[in-house]
Amino acid sequence: MIANLIYWITQKKWLIIATTFGFFLYIIPTPQGLSINGYHTLIIVAVALILIVFEPVPLPAVAFFILFMQVIITDATPNEVASSFMSDAVFFIMGSLMLAVAIVKQGLDKRLALGIIRMTGNKTWRIVAGFTAISAILSSFIGEHTVAAMMMPVGLTLIRNTSKDPSKIIKLSSILLFSIAYGATIGSVGTPSGGGRNVIMLEYWSDFGIGHISYLTWMKYAYPMVILQIPFTVLILWWTFTPEKKTIDTGVRKLVIQVAKSGKMTGKQILSIFLFVLVFIGWIFFGEKIGLGFVALIGVFLYLIFGLVEWSDLNRSTNWGVILLFGATISIGLAMKKTGAAEWLAMGALNTLNSFFHNIDYSRAGIAVILTGVLSNILSSSATIAVVGPIVLNLGGDPVLYGFATAIASAFGYFTVVAAPACMIIYSSGMVKTKDFLRAGWKMGIMSVFMLFLVSFFWWPLLQ
Amino acid sequence: MVYSNVKFLLAIGSKEYSEPTLIVGSLIAKTFKADLSLVYVGEKPKQIFEGRIKLSRDSLAKWEIYHPGIEVLKWAFKYLQSSGYLETTDGNGFNPENIVEEHNRYRLVLQGSFGRDVDLILREGKIIDELRKECFEQEYTLTIIGGSKKRRMAHDLVQYLPTSIFVVQNLDPTKQYKLLLCVDDSKATKSAVRFGATIAKNQGMFVNTLTVSKTTQFGKGYRGAAKAAGRYLKSQKIPFEQHFITGDPVKTFLDFAGDDHIIMMGDSKQSPLIKFFFGSKPIKTLKKASCPILIVR
Repeated sequence: MIANLIYWITQKKWLIIATTFGFFLYIIPTPQGLSINGYHTLIIVAVALILIVFEPVPLPAVAFFILFMQVIITDATPNEVASSFMSDAVFFIMGSLMLAVAIVKQGLDKRLALGIIRMTGNKTWRIVAGFTAISAILSSFIGEHTVAAMMMPVGLTLIRNTSKDPSKIIKLSSILLFSIAYGATIGSVGTPSGGGRNVIMLEYWSDFGIGHISYLTWMKYAYPMVILQIPFTVLILWWTFTPEKKTIDTGVRKLVIQVAKSGKMTGKQILSIFLFVLVFIGWIFFGEKIGLGFVALIGVFLYLIFGLVEWSDLNRSTNWGVILLFGATISIGLAMKKTGAAEWLAMGALNTLNSFFHNIDYSRAGIAVILTGVLSNILSSSATIAVVGPIVLNLGGDPVLYGFATAIASAFGYFTVVAAPACMIIYSSGMVKTKDFLRAGWKMGIMSVFMLFLVSFFWWPLLQ
Repeated sequence: MVYSNVKFLLAIGSKEYSEPTLIVGSLIAKTFKADLSLVYVGEKPKQIFEGRIKLSRDSLAKWEIYHPGIEVLKWAFKYLQSSGYLETTDGNGFNPENIVEEHNRYRLVLQGSFGRDVDLILREGKIIDELRKECFEQEYTLTIIGGSKKRRMAHDLVQYLPTSIFVVQNLDPTKQYKLLLCVDDSKATKSAVRFGATIAKNQGMFVNTLTVSKTTQFGKGYRGAAKAAGRYLKSQKIPFEQHFITGDPVKTFLDFAGDDHIIMMGDSKQSPLIKFFFGSKPIKTLKKASCPILIVR
């Protein structure tokens, strides 16, 4: 009995720390300039962040905590919380997770493998460049984890075909897997459908009365970042993991034979691509009117009625806990805006940074880029945008530009395994180590911040 | 002493580090005619990415690329076949696709008959947490695990696992080891003596029993326990010597054991709370030992 109790305490120490910390904040006086509701909202955010980072409880429990605490310790009514919980962004996250399952199920990865190899040949640098570019471009439309799930088998098969002894091709393995992960990550900012965080930012712009940004407008602002980063990512990866083999002839030949066995493209595969093109067109032309989330749901509906995916597959492979969590974090994000907590935090951060930078724009950019980049590496990008978004949009200056900078910076999760789903996917193969993320990540981080600086100073003014 | 219906849990982590654990673990399981479960505990992805990792694994499985843990279990299964622990050389028993999800763990269903009960288990999460869940769900007698460099590992193993624990650290399978039976007045000493005697008898090991007192006086309980141990070893016709030494128990155990003994001791009779804050003889010995150690409950 006592042993079990001690064990429970050791396992749930972060739950105990989070609740104790929350209770301590609750009983001390409200900080000056902040409303009581705003303060209580920030307490909920602080406790939820600890629970999300250290995971002492399942994610749906964190989502429920965020929701019921708003009703209990702030003046939000149950109906207000419920309506802020479900939004187009949540539908988009749900729809895109399901679309990913539907697309991956079609076995298009073999077609993809053949296409890439035909383009790149057997030279390692060309394969790395091909993996990075294809992952980036595809992920900008269908999301990074979908691309990582499709590209991983191609990369791992190539590695396995090249040598039976993985210890002889450690760097080759790393460069191929990182070209998939980092390629998918840099691409995910290109369009709103590249990642849930982009749609969360669109939702905030709309809910905060800043304006509606269309799919194409987003692309005009963000896509140059994708294009610019591709060649530098290849260079950085080559510099960090210069591979043992400059050509991988055997690996490529075996892969082509293996893929060729799968025969010609099936009718289902063609239909699946056609449906995704329809969804893409829907996002561009109807996204503003009916919402990107609802377009995604129409896509899922079409995949289901054409029998391309079973509901049981969608149900089994969709992480409902993530959907609940994003609904709850967006809800608390909106509460931060409504209660003035976001503005109070934004002003506090701005005043602090102004003592370091005398130019207020640098302070704003520092908060938007550095804070987002750091938090993304700890929390995951979507959760970061949900929490940091309302703060950044209250910093003053042009909220659209700072919103873009924040959404783009949330993809700078190169340093840790937990930053991006693509990073976690390659890590789960057991072929890359956590220190590899640091080795390549710091170079990627500097490169991406520099590119964002270039794009925001030279490209974005042309669009205004 | 006849042991019946015993189940051993053997934790493996990689081909590189788990070979000695597998060799010794399977030998001991054979000695006790125990059912053996091999468990691989892999890192669990962040909850936020779980669904996406699953999707990626489904995609990889179509290319016959499986979870890294399945590769380790396959290697362990093949070792058990080649070492003669399993009585068939049929290589088709292991099929990565025959994996079933049950009780938050994955079990590989082996095809065919192998003469012994072997389970191959894959779990994801923190090692102690997963071993503990496995032990409570399946009621094992002994958990066999390799040594770890993590400071808290020794403490957590002894504190939280409900089974006896055999930590196979720095073990050279080609070397002839002696058994060091640490004897005191704890309840578990009796079990340790019987457990040790069974191993020693089957593996032809020499036994040293060691009783350590902090003072020059050896209390009635200590003397009685040593006498009972000697009597039992004698009845089992196991060659042994008995030693009584004054000094710090943990240091004396470790000095005596050197690198040619397997230490065997009973678990402490102290309350879990005392053990948590101040440790116990087994915990301290395990933390400092550089040889294999078996703690019997």
